[in-house]
Amino acid sequence: MAKEERFDVVIIGGGHNGTTTAAYLAKSGLSVCILEERPEGGGAQETVEPLAGVRIQPHAIGNYAGAAPGWDQLELWRYGFRMDYNPRNEVPFDIDRGPMTRDGTVPVSEADQMGWAQAIGLLSDPPCYRDLLRATFWTPPHPSYVELDENTIPYMQVYRDNMPEIWSKEVLEWTMFDLLDQFIESEPFKVHQAYIANVSGAFAHFPGVAVPAIECVATVLPPAIAKPVAARGNMHGYYHALVRCAIAHGAVVRSCCPVEEILIDDGRAIGVRLRDDAAWGVKKIYANKAVISAVHIKPTFQKLIGPKQLDAGFMQRINDLSLKGGSLYMAHFLTKEELRYREPFKWSDEDPHPFSGGFYCMENKEIYYKNLECVLGRQENLDIPPDEAMWGMVASSLYDETQPQCTREGYHINGPLWMMVPTPQYNVDGVLAMDETPADKAKWNEYMRKTLSCVVENLDDDNLVEIISDSPWEQEFRNTGMLGGSWYGTRCDRDEWWNERPLPELSRYRVPDIDGLYLAHQSAAHPGGLCLMAVGYNLMHILIEDGIVEPGDWWYASPWYVPEAGKISAVPGEGRV
Amino acid sequence: MTREFKGYQHPQSFFEEFPPDSDWDAVVIGAGPNGLIAAAYLARAGLRVALVERRYEVGGGLATEEILFPGYSSNIHAIYHMMVDFMPVLRDFDLKQHGLVWIKPNLQSSMVFENGDSVLLTRMIADTTDSFHKFSLKDSDTFSRTMGRWRKIVKEILAPATYLPPMAPLDITLALQKTDLGNELLELNDQSPFDIITNLFENDRVRAILLYHVCMWGLDPHETGLGLFVPLYLDRMMNKAYCQGGSHKLAGCLAREIVRAGGVILDSSQVNKIIMKDGAVAGVELWEGRNLYSNAVISTLDPQTTFLDLMDGDQVPDGLKASAEGWKYDKWSFNTLHVVSEEAPRYLPKDPQASETFMTILGFEGTDQLLEHWDNVRAGRIDFDAFGGHSTCESAWDSHLVRVPPDQAHRQVSFLQMHAPYALEGGWDARRAEVEEAMLRRWAKYAPNMKRENIVMTNLETPEDIEIRLPNMRFGAIKHGDYEPLQLGCFRPNQDCSTTRTPIEGLYTAGASNYPGGCVLGAGGYLAANTVAEDLEVKKWWKPTKEIVKYSKEYLDEG
Repeated sequence: MAKEERFDVVIIGGGHNGTTTAAYLAKSGLSVCILEERPEGGGAQETVEPLAGVRIQPHAIGNYAGAAPGWDQLELWRYGFRMDYNPRNEVPFDIDRGPMTRDGTVPVSEADQMGWAQAIGLLSDPPCYRDLLRATFWTPPHPSYVELDENTIPYMQVYRDNMPEIWSKEVLEWTMFDLLDQFIESEPFKVHQAYIANVSGAFAHFPGVAVPAIECVATVLPPAIAKPVAARGNMHGYYHALVRCAIAHGAVVRSCCPVEEILIDDGRAIGVRLRDDAAWGVKKIYANKAVISAVHIKPTFQKLIGPKQLDAGFMQRINDLSLKGGSLYMAHFLTKEELRYREPFKWSDEDPHPFSGGFYCMENKEIYYKNLECVLGRQENLDIPPDEAMWGMVASSLYDETQPQCTREGYHINGPLWMMVPTPQYNVDGVLAMDETPADKAKWNEYMRKTLSCVVENLDDDNLVEIISDSPWEQEFRNTGMLGGSWYGTRCDRDEWWNERPLPELSRYRVPDIDGLYLAHQSAAHPGGLCLMAVGYNLMHILIEDGIVEPGDWWYASPWYVPEAGKISAVPGEGRV
Repeated sequence: MTREFKGYQHPQSFFEEFPPDSDWDAVVIGAGPNGLIAAAYLARAGLRVALVERRYEVGGGLATEEILFPGYSSNIHAIYHMMVDFMPVLRDFDLKQHGLVWIKPNLQSSMVFENGDSVLLTRMIADTTDSFHKFSLKDSDTFSRTMGRWRKIVKEILAPATYLPPMAPLDITLALQKTDLGNELLELNDQSPFDIITNLFENDRVRAILLYHVCMWGLDPHETGLGLFVPLYLDRMMNKAYCQGGSHKLAGCLAREIVRAGGVILDSSQVNKIIMKDGAVAGVELWEGRNLYSNAVISTLDPQTTFLDLMDGDQVPDGLKASAEGWKYDKWSFNTLHVVSEEAPRYLPKDPQASETFMTILGFEGTDQLLEHWDNVRAGRIDFDAFGGHSTCESAWDSHLVRVPPDQAHRQVSFLQMHAPYALEGGWDARRAEVEEAMLRRWAKYAPNMKRENIVMTNLETPEDIEIRLPNMRFGAIKHGDYEPLQLGCFRPNQDCSTTRTPIEGLYTAGASNYPGGCVLGAGGYLAANTVAEDLEVKKWWKPTKEIVKYSKEYLDEG
């Protein structure tokens, strides 16, 4: 058996954010250990091949991280990062693809395209597109004493300095729909953008998060990334580059090592204890400088720390954190023939019209609210007619032909189709409402088939081989970071975003009264999910402030970052402020 | 011309990616166990190494994947690790720090019979002899004495020789004649597995369990000249280890060692062709539009892929081309039914230990049935009423494979695996349902609780599926090529390439189709690392294991 083990930093959870944090810290010269409970790390960045030759992405699909400082700072290309296109070719991207309604695909007018480009900062001089993204996602929340207003909120500073025509106090009260109303005429296009925001973690109809919501959409489109969809090897390939960056800098990564307890001594996190069946002999692992929880915030406090160490008022607020709003039902359709659009949905003049994905029933706000009423309001299994259900779908044809998603001859895999559904924990019919019996699942799969059939003409029995799906409840146990099947951990509303995320006193990644403990899970940290390399980058600012890490010359802080008084500034050369 | 290794920014993108052209000291094709091992040794030796893998995950046959989706992972390929006690890579690298844990149960295997009888094969010889005792005192005694010697033969001769370059048959004879153990091995080698087992043992059930273990990996029971595999497989099948968290863990640990030493792994990246310049290897071209230039390329792929698909005909010497064209893939493959069940399989035998073994063989009442099944398989048939196979309840050894809601956490992941033809009469696709039904029926005959009502989910992985998932296992050939005298030893894959050097300058071969073969021996990659290090004149940071040193002194006059 090993002797007592010590690292500078122990990171619980080897998903995207834990791994990014490890890469940053290891590159800064700290000894780092990642403890991951699943056999393979990556969290939501995963690929599985449930049937030989048929690969699916059960969770993260698109690379939203194009504007991340992490590309410069971690240099993932050194560890094999590649997008899924030929580097010697031009990247095809059909920007004209419009939203789908019951009547067919609605083309996006030039005026709407320009309005859209203006809203996200592509048309200012110079363009402030990247700054808007970085100010929104890649900046740690301000210290609690900083007054938050149109002059201090980072993305508002970008508008002020580059697009004064938009900058106003009112923007801070707007919904994303309000913002879209300023720039876009077509209602289906607005709903389309709104729904992309919804499935990317922000609600278009919530006031106060208009800009973060629209930025959730902007960050998955060119030029942030040259093509929607992801890396070679899909999002798991992106994870590979990230974890290999951490390992190349000396991080130790252990899989099958679930953590059961955060060891706390005299108000300080000193290490962790592993579950008895962990693949490591000595179950206690100590951290000299910090324990970072990159697992969901609820189990972090409810189980790993536990009510023995926390007061009931705090526990109540942890228990109350919302899992709502990002629970998606995922369906992949295995077919014998390539799927084809029905006539009104075709996007090109090609005949027959090969299915290339898209967003359906983006007709109007009425349908938008009807879907959300069911998912968020009544919280019951969908009773919406399939032709009015809202969903998005990725087609395998979006991937480069040298990286086919299906290599099983005579078959095609299509998807995922993802649809927002009620969070199991709040489902009025109980957590098992979708999963009690195999028949429940079959019913859901049939619903997905019906709604996809509104758009696709050949999803008949002869063509459809199988629907490979997972419900939010199943997702939660495959990947415990996805409590409630929530893709973004906790809801991104005004009360749980930026300086409020997840709770005001936790928003700078520290835990009051427990020194040496930091939070890095999407549910516990600004900006949340989407595999942005953002939580790790933002957390670095705080760890520098606390004297835990001193990164090398490659480091730069966010231009909108405000150092906390009395701490070491994360801006190189500034020293203690 | 050296190209500067720097990030490449596509004009339409924000950020840097891996460059389209780059230079390497060595490029390894294929991240199966051998590719990983070769790359790990060479990277730690200070070489700039790129490892290219076609799948989205490294490991090749070291694959633990959620094929019972959602929630249940399975070891879809390698699971019984036989050479853990000897593999140099496990000693040269500190893989334990990454959490690599081996579980080697005493109850290794059982063979169960319809009337409730059972025999065991255990890590500790005495438990096996106890189980033979009830059938034949003589066999029990013979096994005890024989295995004592064979264990020594494996430890002192066969295991260390696995990690040294192949020898010509005459040299082997000369070397083995030096000791009594060596002479015993020489005598065995001339006999067929069937003759060795039947000459030594009288009881048919004892014979059946032993013969199954000896021939399980593809030895022809009646082929002579391969008798040395009998002690090797018996001893090693008594020492199978399970990798906690699944076999992929071993691949993951090796990948970490490569990366830690500065090597780069490009997964989801297929090699389009091997680039040649002036008759020598100059690198590889990837399908995605990137070229990796190197004067040393190690291919861990099968001979036909390496020499016929990735190279232009005029670049391959005729003899080598003919040898690749004449390459024989495995005589049989595996067909595996993976299942999730409410309860673990419970077998008929009264002996509780028979249900607790790592591997349970079922379906055969004696050697005749066993031989008949193998004959059928070679003829492309399966007799649905008389076939058998082996089964493991993986989740009994590994809690990490099941990730489901609490009300389902009691469920178990198992498989039943059988020898099967690649070309099944009527075709696999058409007969999937029929095969699955037959396998469940057969399983339930020996484990009565394995009925449909106990089964939650299944996934049938046929020999065709093996080839689809791992395209290099052509025709479902798990060892990249048959085990027969002319494809083994210094003839694997042929006399020109079996040392891992090839007649083509800068090209090395090191896969399961190279000496000493497949089954995660950890040898091909190790041998290739040695030859490449010698040819590139790089200092080897590793030393041979103590078993290898002792064997070399005693049998090879070295030291």
